[in-house]
Amino acid sequence: MSEQAAAQLRVALIQFPGSNCEWETKRAAEAAGITCDVFRWNRDPAALVEYDGYIIGGGFSYQDRIRSGVIATKEPIVATMFEQVSEFGKPVLGICNGAQVLVEAGLIPGLNPGRVEMALAPNYPDPRGRIGDFCCRWVYLKHKCAPGRCALSSQMPTGYIWPVPIAHGEGRFTTRDRDAIEQLRANDQIVFQYCDENGQVADTPEINPNGAMDNIAGICNPEGNVLAMMPHPERASFVRQLPAELSGQWGTQKQATWGDDAAMRQPGPGRLVFDSLREALLVSVC
Amino acid sequence: MQLDERQILVSQMDDEQLQAELKQHGVVLTPYEARRIVDLIGRDPTLCELHIFNVEWSEHCSYKSSLATLKEFLPTDAPNVIQGPEEDAGIVFFAEHEGKRYGVVIAHESHNHPSQVLPNEGAATGIGGIVRDVDCMGADVIATADPLRFGDPSGENAERTKWIVRGVVDGIWQYGNALGVPNLGGDVYFAEDFDDNCLVNVIALGLVAEEDIIHSAAPPEAATEPYDLILVGKPTDDSGFGGSAFASKILDEEEEEDDRGAVQVPDPFLKNVLAMKKANAQVKQRAKELGLAIGFKDIGGGGLACATSEITAEGGYGVDIDLDKVHVGLENLLPEVICCAETQERYVWAVPAHFSEEVLRIYNEDWDLPNIYEGAQARVIGRFTNDGIYRLVQQGKIVCEAPVEAVTSGISYERDSQPRQFEGTEPEFEMPADMKETLLKVIGHQNVCSRAYIYRCYDSEVQGNAVIRPGEAGAGVCAPLEGCPKGVALSADGNPFYGLIDPYWGGATAVAEAMRNVAAVGAKPAALTDCLNFGNPEKPQAFWEFREGVRGLADAAKNIHLKDYPDSPTPIISGNVSFYNESATGRAVAPSPIIACVGVLEDYSQAVTIQLKQAGNKLLLVGPRQDELGGSAYYQVLDLGLGRNVPQIDWQQEQGMIWAVVDANEAGHIAACQDISDGGVAVALAEMALGGHGTGQFGVHIQLDEEKLRGLRADKWLFSESTGFVMEVHAGHEQQVQEIFAGYGLELMALGEVSGDAQFDVTVAEELLINLPLDQIRDTWAGSLAEVLGS
Repeated sequence: MSEQAAAQLRVALIQFPGSNCEWETKRAAEAAGITCDVFRWNRDPAALVEYDGYIIGGGFSYQDRIRSGVIATKEPIVATMFEQVSEFGKPVLGICNGAQVLVEAGLIPGLNPGRVEMALAPNYPDPRGRIGDFCCRWVYLKHKCAPGRCALSSQMPTGYIWPVPIAHGEGRFTTRDRDAIEQLRANDQIVFQYCDENGQVADTPEINPNGAMDNIAGICNPEGNVLAMMPHPERASFVRQLPAELSGQWGTQKQATWGDDAAMRQPGPGRLVFDSLREALLVSVC
Repeated sequence: MQLDERQILVSQMDDEQLQAELKQHGVVLTPYEARRIVDLIGRDPTLCELHIFNVEWSEHCSYKSSLATLKEFLPTDAPNVIQGPEEDAGIVFFAEHEGKRYGVVIAHESHNHPSQVLPNEGAATGIGGIVRDVDCMGADVIATADPLRFGDPSGENAERTKWIVRGVVDGIWQYGNALGVPNLGGDVYFAEDFDDNCLVNVIALGLVAEEDIIHSAAPPEAATEPYDLILVGKPTDDSGFGGSAFASKILDEEEEEDDRGAVQVPDPFLKNVLAMKKANAQVKQRAKELGLAIGFKDIGGGGLACATSEITAEGGYGVDIDLDKVHVGLENLLPEVICCAETQERYVWAVPAHFSEEVLRIYNEDWDLPNIYEGAQARVIGRFTNDGIYRLVQQGKIVCEAPVEAVTSGISYERDSQPRQFEGTEPEFEMPADMKETLLKVIGHQNVCSRAYIYRCYDSEVQGNAVIRPGEAGAGVCAPLEGCPKGVALSADGNPFYGLIDPYWGGATAVAEAMRNVAAVGAKPAALTDCLNFGNPEKPQAFWEFREGVRGLADAAKNIHLKDYPDSPTPIISGNVSFYNESATGRAVAPSPIIACVGVLEDYSQAVTIQLKQAGNKLLLVGPRQDELGGSAYYQVLDLGLGRNVPQIDWQQEQGMIWAVVDANEAGHIAACQDISDGGVAVALAEMALGGHGTGQFGVHIQLDEEKLRGLRADKWLFSESTGFVMEVHAGHEQQVQEIFAGYGLELMALGEVSGDAQFDVTVAEELLINLPLDQIRDTWAGSLAEVLGS
């Protein structure tokens, strides 16, 4: 990819009142060669059309009033984004609160676009007890779907196991519609599942931190150009962001970079999500 | 213009009448203080003025009991200090990067009283306030930390204590996480001494380029050109009215309902839009682009009156404020309520009048405040003058007209101090027969076990700059400056049990421990803050405890020097005093000077955690074990009382250890390092084996003998809380490490080595004293807090 091409790849990172991950998300996107503008909620939606793709990042948009993400979906810019995604297939990455917005907007899982078909429910409490409902910790994800199934994970091999932090109170992907889950499986829309460092997917509190159905951590729409994920890939986009205490190979690798600032600045596993976004933008531009 | 007729005729009343009159208005000033107002302003005060002085002269705002002591003892200056304790937050030099000098901003406060009566709101507004203090210096807020002290969750006040713990932790995460500031650490103790008064301290860090620092004063330009006073944020209501006075009295359960009204109402959502690189940042940026001199101050304790008088006085001006222009959330507020309510999420700006319109547009249109929070906005409410008068007008009447100097000059007292004799003695007891069981009891004790149950609720990853997270070491570390290798470390410490035995050593050990924790991750201690939590200063013994605590922490700061400036003390650049942590029954909290230390890592990639890294590495100890188990976790577990021999600090040895650990780490010899505190060497080793997340897989094999014990009984040796460090040193590097420590006149002791078998073994003279599978230690350590506090 030429530098000129990269300069032309532009995403809008949508900023709602209460968003709080704008700067690290912008940094992660830019490290992947994407030009990323923070786009305030009350700007003219017409300007949004100029962008090749969108990111909705983490935070507490509108204070999580009513339900996380729901008020943000009423903003005119979300309607504009919806059109751009549906009509032109532009990619959208929703992280944490962004995932909640995409579910509330009916873009995810998108079996019937525009309809709310799932919920991101409050985390199941840890049986060993926990004071708050919020949970911040590192987890492992398995890239579940087929290669290229989701445009936002295209740069990851199927079966890829990677560490990433979660930080949410309402992150449990769930639905009462059994057929919907069957359909998601059949459509191969489950992009990421919570697992252990060896890739084992089990519904235990240690592995599945919020009790999500099928250990779901990320889902794409049927077209594969929209991804909603609860974990934060922007917080695992540089080696320096990984804890040295991670169990398994990633922890060992991190420890080996002790004292080596250059090695610390290398891409972390979360970068692959932004690399995938870059490739999706290229398609979207062409 | 006419003076408000609601004048309090102080000069015409005798003391008894005056006392009754003051009480009737909910004013806690003494008759003596009320008469001082008459002297200062030359007439009887209006009711509004009386309330303003009531707030200004509260202990919380005026430091009337503490200021003389703080000035007598504390070292506040050093070559690395950019801003000392005069403003809302201190600033210490951090890095030079791409031609700019950067500082780390630190503020440290208490929110004890409100957290006791309304835990959630109390703790949340604590974060809100401390973040404003850092933000208003022109900085980006990069971290918070919360040192907490609660009652005994298994004691006679168990249910209430658990309710407070839950509320405080919820308040911290609900506010801090929504705001988007990572929580880097803190600490927590439980003791019955906090049954009636919890302590909720809060620390915030910021990052600022030196050229972008904004002061809390109208700038010199205001003398020659028109400057406006702009109020921004939530509409003023009656919340927190009397908050500072409330924080300056003992807590009486019977008044609890009334006291709740003095607690402010938090709103992290509005704060996020104001503070987190958003609306406020845009104003700062525009002023910088236009080359305008501005002043910026948060509205905290004492409300609008306190903030507006201080921003005026520090510049040496006067101000005319029209209270009718203040946007309010309730109809018909009395002027004294508008002036003294502590409504949250508000700031004041001093800006050139020609810039005001743009400031209002930034807040009211660009960031749409009125639609984000009902009634929130920015408004011009006043104009600076040159007459030195603080003048407030409402509905055509002057409600306050006093020299600014008089309003802000404060009041001070010389309190009586009388030593308190500590009656405790050292216990005599046999060494427990089963040391395995004893170690498990210590590691599972509520003041020793894993804190993950609490900090897992805190977002420590937001902003994406975390290097060392809560639990992974005694200090948190972040790398906040993009492209710059330097790291910031933060630790907060203060063992309340040492303070109970001897407040002097309570203060001194708090400083030393905070510095050790920062050094253990590889950072050089750069500056300190102190939050001084004590009882009623009008009681001579309580005031003595305060003075002793300050003297102790000051001695430590003066005698443990900056590594980069070996002749300079470690400066105390910010802090707070919280008195009256006492209940109506007369029970006060344990004397609790809580110290935060900011450290600087030359290269964040060299930060080390406590977790053991490699089998075969050697474990070394620095710091001789002494018979210093007074206040120890060990005595508490064995139910032996407090004891008497509190750990003491030899300044030169302490400084040498701290400097040597930093040197040894920079040279690449150290794989893991832990400071020795609660639970002594035994707990330090167990924590290193477990690691911060409890995922450690290596064991330790420790060999002791008579020569190493140096006459101390083995159990006392293992659990003594004498100062020191345990280090895991890369195999083959022992000699170099010995040499570094020898250069500071310090001896190292070989404890044993890291093993691959996940066993925790201690052998004393060939006899296996402790042998435990690591998993057994892990279960007790990880699960205890949930068991104590419930789900």
